[in-house]
Amino acid sequence: MTTTPPSGGAPARDRWRGVTHAARYISRRIAITLTLLLGVTVMTFLIVQAVPGDAASANLSETALNDPEVVAAYRAKWGLDQPLPVQYWVYLTNVLQGDLGISQQTGRSVLGDLLTYVPATLEIALPSMLLAVVIGTAVGLYAAVHHDRTGDQVVRVGTLVGLSTPSFWLSLVVLYVFFYLLGVSPSGGRLSTWIVPPERVTGMTTVDAALAGRWDVWWDAVQHLALPVLVLTTLTVAVLTRFVRSAMLEVLDADYIRAARAKGLPERTILRRHVLRAGLVPVITVSGLAFASLLSGTVLVEQIFGWPGVGQYAYRAASGLDMPAIMGVSLFVALVYTAVNLGVDLLYGVIDPRIRVS
Amino acid sequence: MQRPTPRRRVTLALAAAAALTLAGCTAGSAGGAGGASGDSTDGPTTGGTLTVANSFVVKNLDPAQVYEATGAMAVHAMYDTLVTFEGSDVSDPQPLLAESWESNDEATEFTFTLRDDVVFSDGSELTAEDVVFSLNRLVNLKGSPSVTVQGFSASSPEEGVVVVTTETPNPNVPTILAMPATGIVNAETARANGATDAADAAESDSATSFMDGESIGSGPYVLDAFDPASEIVLTANPEYWGEAPAYERIVIQNVEAQNQKMSVERAGRDFVALDLSGRMLDDLDDALQVSSTQDTFYFLTLHQDPAVSEVTSNLEFVRALRASIDYEGLAALFGSEARPAAGMVPTAFAGALPESESKAQDLDAAKQHLAASGVTDPSVTLMFPAMTYRGVDLATIATKVQNDAAQAGITVQLDPQPIASFLDAQSAGKVAFRFSPQSLNYPVASSLVNNFHPGQTSAERTGWTLERATPEAIAAGDRVRAALDTAEQDAAMQDWQRVLDEDGPYIPLAYNSGVVVSTSDLVGADYSPAGWQVDLRAVARR
Repeated sequence: MTTTPPSGGAPARDRWRGVTHAARYISRRIAITLTLLLGVTVMTFLIVQAVPGDAASANLSETALNDPEVVAAYRAKWGLDQPLPVQYWVYLTNVLQGDLGISQQTGRSVLGDLLTYVPATLEIALPSMLLAVVIGTAVGLYAAVHHDRTGDQVVRVGTLVGLSTPSFWLSLVVLYVFFYLLGVSPSGGRLSTWIVPPERVTGMTTVDAALAGRWDVWWDAVQHLALPVLVLTTLTVAVLTRFVRSAMLEVLDADYIRAARAKGLPERTILRRHVLRAGLVPVITVSGLAFASLLSGTVLVEQIFGWPGVGQYAYRAASGLDMPAIMGVSLFVALVYTAVNLGVDLLYGVIDPRIRVS
Repeated sequence: MQRPTPRRRVTLALAAAAALTLAGCTAGSAGGAGGASGDSTDGPTTGGTLTVANSFVVKNLDPAQVYEATGAMAVHAMYDTLVTFEGSDVSDPQPLLAESWESNDEATEFTFTLRDDVVFSDGSELTAEDVVFSLNRLVNLKGSPSVTVQGFSASSPEEGVVVVTTETPNPNVPTILAMPATGIVNAETARANGATDAADAAESDSATSFMDGESIGSGPYVLDAFDPASEIVLTANPEYWGEAPAYERIVIQNVEAQNQKMSVERAGRDFVALDLSGRMLDDLDDALQVSSTQDTFYFLTLHQDPAVSEVTSNLEFVRALRASIDYEGLAALFGSEARPAAGMVPTAFAGALPESESKAQDLDAAKQHLAASGVTDPSVTLMFPAMTYRGVDLATIATKVQNDAAQAGITVQLDPQPIASFLDAQSAGKVAFRFSPQSLNYPVASSLVNNFHPGQTSAERTGWTLERATPEAIAAGDRVRAALDTAEQDAAMQDWQRVLDEDGPYIPLAYNSGVVVSTSDLVGADYSPAGWQVDLRAVARR
């Protein structure tokens, strides 16, 4: 079947061309994504097989490992007694039907586990990212404008310290200071133990508490968010600030900025309309990657704050050689990066018309 | 009203974000206690909530599948067993569901008479049929805890009576039936949700996921919520047949060890921490209570098959290495709750050797044994799991062994491995020289003989076959297995350890403790080597 563009002159033809171009673009992206996901399943499966150790060793007690009958029952239950190609084929056909398998660690469906743990990670990743973008952009721009002056030097040293600080160390320090010494913050978890959690709707405690109208619970949940968000924000701000500063410095040195200044435009207008917008493209790229990194798991921060997110789930899956969970997390991470990259590409078009046209 | 300019809007947004962060950070001062702390100084009252901080090791809450420490603790609070233990004493089983019990002379048949006033949390009566179903299901599921009841079968000749028979004589059946894995489930509800006690239960039973969401036991607490990554929430069982539980709610939280220390020190009340050990206990707040029991031993194993290693299979070399270790200095690395090993049985259990028999370094003897061994190149590679266990980095211990051995002229190369790889290599039975911690599967010393006696699975993986073992070592193990009463068995266990100290391929290094740290308002927060760490049923306010 062939399609023909609607009649109606040049504007209509341009619109039609635009639609077909977009459709081709989206189709191409979907095809790439599917190929990528298939590649992820193959690579993950092979890598897990290559890791020394066996799922039975990781999941049975030492005494149980001494009993061949128990080991055989375990391997049969999880399909580990099948040849590797058969194991992979069974997994792939199940995935194509929306079944990511059962986790050997939790005994629950991997999809169900992801739906449980992803909202928890989102709950700390979203505010961290939002704060990091706002602070990073503002501080980076400030440092660029005050290039090589005291403020810039302070920012550069500060971001270097931020980049060099291990997340687990910073987590322990903020816990020690704000919880142990000052007693102004909870130590970990998502809610105080004496509080009965709100009914689960989104899986994000703050949102669920607000939906239930339980504002005391909402406030308790916000308090528990504070320290992990503080740590993640600090680490992400350091990255973003350096990128913003570097991108803005490049733009500030451009001819058209000098021309704008020569024409007598106010500095505030130059910064807002010409510098910030032009410098945002690389910043968006880095922000996207930073966000994807936050979403795909901040293992140590989640571990120290007892935050039941994707990072902890991935860690448990890896240490237990829990193949279905490892594959599920890998697919999720691949999807996150693909979606974030798509979002970043679309944002490029919004910010820079030249990219939109191309 | 004047509309804010774009710049002012940005400023306001920034201010709001900063205020939210600051509010979150400082909220505790106004709103009171935080999270795991259960801080009582200015926060709301706990309303009968006990917080238990634990570094989680749990997969599910099905009694017949549970073997990890966290799961066993929770299951023990929700499911009654036929017998139990009180406090830290695991030498004397106490009645729980069973009023009394007796065994035949051969220790192969145990008859339990049940209480007649026990009800499950749904109000239905607990019967002998529930007990028979639960125990047979445990046997047939062939999961990790099934190993301890291998060869067991249960039946009920009449209502209120359960008979447990074993394929081989086993005077320790009552002790084994105190383990959380033998918790009694409501058979009718279990069956309705996919459980079976049939011989093919390993393939056909599907009730574990149901029991992860709902408890069907008769214990003082019932399951409210379970997330293997973050928390287990128990609430008081309103139908409990015994004395009403002390707390309305118990929250077992997954808390990293360093965080546990800060939390318990700030908690003030209603708080228990389970993973503080080693050096973390050294500067603990004096107001806190510490309960500990030495229930774990750390040991070296040397492969006895010359095809695997000509060096480690040389018994004189084993003796040289054994004499070269500075046991006192090594135990100090574990902290104040540890001591040098005397044998393989830790002091928590009957059958342990007295402290006077603790090992000591003797470098002269080590050099003599090394010379007698005829080994010209005394170099060996020590494999161990690269992990921190009970607050101690095992690499630290391995390095100490390396240094001590060097003083006797023995060269030790260290080979740390991820735990899964270590267990895999160990199972393959080709590791010449390894180091690992070991706990007992159930609180009976003779369970070690079932693993480490020549010909048994662990011994086989060490190449310690009946052919390679000395007649004395074989005879000592056989005496333990032949003993039909526990006192006789304990004495035989002591002899077995003394023989192994001469002729065995194992070198016990030190005993380390399990520790419970609790706030001063609590009673009953004692460490138990029975497998459940702390008996949540017994924890109450003073």
